[in-house]
Amino acid sequence: MTLLKLQSVSKTFGGLRALRDVSFEVASGEIVGIMGANGAGKTTLFSLIAGNATPSSGEIWFKGRRIDGSRPDQNCRAGIARTFQIVRPFAGLTVLENVMVAVLFGSSRERSRAKAAARAEEILHELGLEERKSQLAGSLTLSGQKRLEIARALATGPQLILLDEVMAGLTATEVNELLTAIRVIKQRRSLTIVIVEHVMQALMRLADRIVVLHHGEKIVEGLPAAIVEDERVIAAYLGSAS
Amino acid sequence: MIGRWTIPLIVALAAACGVPFVAGDYLIGVALSLAMWIALTESWILLSGLTGYVSLGHVVFYGLGAYVGILLWGEVGGVLAVGGAGLASGVFALAVGYPALRVRGPYFVMLTFGLAEFCKYIVIDVEAGLGQFSRLLLGGPSVLQLYYVVLGLAAAATALTFFVARSRLGYALRAIRENEEAAETVGVPVAFCKLAAFALSAIIPGMVGALMVARSSYFEPSQVFDPIVSFTIVTMAIIGGSDDARGPFLGAALLVLLSEILWARAPQVYMILLGILLIAFVLFAPGGITGRLLSRPVKVKP
Amino acid sequence: MQAILSWQLLFAALVTGSIYVLVALGLNLVYGTMRLLNVAHGDMVMIGAYVSYWLFTLSGLSPLLSMLIAAALTAALGALAYVGLFRRLLANRQLVQRLEGNSLLLFFGISIVIQNLASLAFDSTPRAYQYLDRVVAIGNLGITENRLAALIVTGILSLVIVLFLRFHIYGLAIKALMQHREAATVVGIDVERVQILSFCIGFGVAGLAGALLSMMEQITPFMGFPFTIAAFVVVILGGLGNLLGGMAAGLLLGILETYGVALTSPSLRSVLIYGVFILVLLVRPQGLLGGKRVVR
Ligand SMILES: Nc1ncnc2c1ncn2[C@@H]1O[C@H](COP(=O)(O)OP(=O)(O)OP(=O)(O)O)[C@@H](O)[C@H]1O
Ligand SMILES: [Mg+2]
Repeated sequence: MTLLKLQSVSKTFGGLRALRDVSFEVASGEIVGIMGANGAGKTTLFSLIAGNATPSSGEIWFKGRRIDGSRPDQNCRAGIARTFQIVRPFAGLTVLENVMVAVLFGSSRERSRAKAAARAEEILHELGLEERKSQLAGSLTLSGQKRLEIARALATGPQLILLDEVMAGLTATEVNELLTAIRVIKQRRSLTIVIVEHVMQALMRLADRIVVLHHGEKIVEGLPAAIVEDERVIAAYLGSAS
Repeated sequence: MIGRWTIPLIVALAAACGVPFVAGDYLIGVALSLAMWIALTESWILLSGLTGYVSLGHVVFYGLGAYVGILLWGEVGGVLAVGGAGLASGVFALAVGYPALRVRGPYFVMLTFGLAEFCKYIVIDVEAGLGQFSRLLLGGPSVLQLYYVVLGLAAAATALTFFVARSRLGYALRAIRENEEAAETVGVPVAFCKLAAFALSAIIPGMVGALMVARSSYFEPSQVFDPIVSFTIVTMAIIGGSDDARGPFLGAALLVLLSEILWARAPQVYMILLGILLIAFVLFAPGGITGRLLSRPVKVKP
Repeated sequence: MQAILSWQLLFAALVTGSIYVLVALGLNLVYGTMRLLNVAHGDMVMIGAYVSYWLFTLSGLSPLLSMLIAAALTAALGALAYVGLFRRLLANRQLVQRLEGNSLLLFFGISIVIQNLASLAFDSTPRAYQYLDRVVAIGNLGITENRLAALIVTGILSLVIVLFLRFHIYGLAIKALMQHREAATVVGIDVERVQILSFCIGFGVAGLAGALLSMMEQITPFMGFPFTIAAFVVVILGGLGNLLGGMAAGLLLGILETYGVALTSPSLRSVLIYGVFILVLLVRPQGLLGGKRVVR
């Protein structure tokens, strides 16, 4: 079943075309990878889907409902969660409180703070952050803050989660741990994942399908094995390596 | 959760209720102004302390309440006038809040300041147009009655801020303060929450405004909309620490004391000290006195 | 209606506008280079005005000369404020995170202190003096000499500043800092010095504007704030770091104010200025910088 559908979505910032006529679909339960050089428009794509920005043209559909133009909090309650590439923790709140906000206001809209705290602790446990729960989020390491991004997104109870370079800047061990954690998390709930990653191997190991963006356009879409050998992808990466 | 702060607060409230039995008129007057400032600053914290949208124009609610109060008092009596003043301020906050709260950070600060001044001059012009440069309120309540009512409002404002801070809404407001985009992205309806905080923080100042007109039995627009009131609120909150309902007590006590000593004799000196305190606390102790004294143990790094 | 179309009114609007241009120029420098929201800016205007007032009343020194002293004094105050307070603010990483907000509160504190010091020293009765107040006729336009002089001085000074920013090495550095803070450091600009310089020029120009103003209008210790508000309107309308835009916006505000008051009543002046101020902030809620809200 199609969960998410983009129809020739474009986004311009002033004169800059960050995305141009991008179309693709994501089925329930899939893991779709998004690849592209710096500035290709990957983060912009996420912002459009999550509602942080509105497309200049085109349509976005989620669960059969049109969502472009709706607000991020509405999309969140409808079941879309995202992480931020440049982490945005609630720095002055504790790690637990960060996640609690998401439980309280996400799609489950938990009313009881006690239950929200319990739920938040479970999620922190899944991401190995439970020992840090009463620390201020601003004092976490980068790796910790990236995990917190995921924890907070999961805590909203999404059907679709958009992960934006959650592994960038982590060490090899940390990447492996996180990969495992993401797999376990996906198994446990019926999640659909769209993931942006520069770490190629990570993407290869996770994704069922990969979409490649180049200067805001979708140039290829296919299975991971096919993507690595595609000439256009190689050209795009070598040509505009930055 | 309410824990160790409940007892001292109840004791303080009981002591405050007992003040008139032991003190003379002068001290009751001082206690009244202390209660007034606590009510105003607690209300301010509900908005600015929790959301980070610093209002430098909170006097607008006080002034509006004073205006509505004086217009209604003679017509419908004190109780309804004070209620009407609170209602008017709340409705006004709802009306201007939606556009105003889209403006962020320092621009919001300036906007609130401008809005208060704007309203001040509008009321001045309207009153001048009516040929009315000041109004008198005769036969108002006694200082003692006013004291108990304002004390009640101070307690109500403290309780409101305390419970909102710990409520579901409070989580949303603090998330907005820390990062509004992220809050929105995890499902917080930010516009609604900010508006709710704005309106909640406006009602009690409106009521206080009406009561303080009754206290001075005199209404003059440039006095009830005086920006010094806004400065004082902000300074009290910053001195006390603006993150929490506990903060204003220290800040208000300190400044009321200072003002009692200086205001009548040397208002400029009082204002200069106010400015210096503001500068010093922003530079050296952004967390305020409570932030310093009670800094949470969790703040240490791993 | 006749009066509305007169040259007289247009000239008055130009004089008011040109003072706004000058005051806003200084604000633009300090905000543009350091993101410091100087709400005490108008108080420099007040200080400059008092310097010229006292020098004239005590020793008869022409404000057209004492304006240089006023500028030097306020520039020195700028340097002092930078070294004493803002260097600390800019250096403290924790405070920098909320720099604009903190600087706003700091400047508010400074503004309160300055205004009340002035009111303590000079008491708050309005003061004025007569200088160059003969009316000269140009065609059928009658104008006082001091207004003409003020217009000429602001015109020349604005030109000098624009040229300085365009051609002088420090001017270029200031512009670089306004546009690309990180890049400017990399290119080897001595940020510290440029920042002091911005403070000095910004404050000094405001002081000079105050000196000019004292020839034409009554002065009080609390006269500064309306100028701060006007300067913010001008900077927001004209665009950050955009000096030509700022000039156009300053003149526009002068015209708006003068004609607005002429069409309604003088008592509406404050309502008008604050109304424009609110409107400008509401319409450009992203702040002075415009639409740079990058979500990543
Ligand atoms: N809010 C914005 N305003 C103006 N331009 C923007 C904005 N957001 C993104 N851009 C521009 O749009 C283009 C695409 O940016 P985007 O962040 O989506 O790229 P990306 O693929 O995520 O890159 P990276 O790998 O560096 O994260 C870039 O040129 C960027 O500068
Ligand atoms: Mg990106």
